[in-house]
Amino acid sequence: MRPPDHPTIFEITEDELDLDALLDAITLPSTGAAAIFTGMVRGVTSRGEAHETVYLEYEAYKPMAEAKMKQVADEIRARWPTIEGIAVVQRVGRLYPRTPTVLIAVTAAHRDTGVFDAARYGIDRLKEIVPVWKKEVGPNGEEWVEGDYIPKAGE
Amino acid sequence: MTRVKILLFATLRERVGGAKFIELSLPNGATVQALKTQVAREFPALAENMKSALTTVNREFAFDEAILPEGAELAMFPPVSGG
Repeated sequence: MRPPDHPTIFEITEDELDLDALLDAITLPSTGAAAIFTGMVRGVTSRGEAHETVYLEYEAYKPMAEAKMKQVADEIRARWPTIEGIAVVQRVGRLYPRTPTVLIAVTAAHRDTGVFDAARYGIDRLKEIVPVWKKEVGPNGEEWVEGDYIPKAGE
Repeated sequence: MTRVKILLFATLRERVGGAKFIELSLPNGATVQALKTQVAREFPALAENMKSALTTVNREFAFDEAILPEGAELAMFPPVSGG
């Protein structure tokens, strides 16, 4: 059992991500380190097939998505018991280039207790099991982005 | 037979004109595989998608052999692409 004062935030939202407020919400008196990953809409892609993006339209199966985000947070705590606070937040709706779309933040007493690995794990896991999808709209049309991860039993 | 409702998301939803869900009848005790077969039969626009669609039962991933519990919340969607 983790102490009850270790906050866990998991949310699908249409609102702008307030990175400062989310970090504040998972910072405890004992916190000395935080790792924050945030992804944003990339307007110009050069890796792979080069293209431009006008906007992304995100959609979620909200109740399941939030339950799976909590599962990701639980998995982080099981792997890195020293983690204090965790925030996992995905924004949905129509989002334009340079806009933050997702945030994974973890806090701990010290930086050498797994915060970097935990944040990395969190975003990788979100992209595997949290039911959110995006449609990419470019200058020449639109296309749903589909992942390639097939969850296994118990995930 | 029992009437079931299946929530659709992303590509699957667009294939049926934006409908948030579809409904069909299944024998009691049908499996996820039987559900996919029936969806493909009654909604030909979704037939191709059934090869890669993920199915969830009560907000958990479910696999072909799984039996659908009565009254369960069912959903189908493509592999996820959030972040």
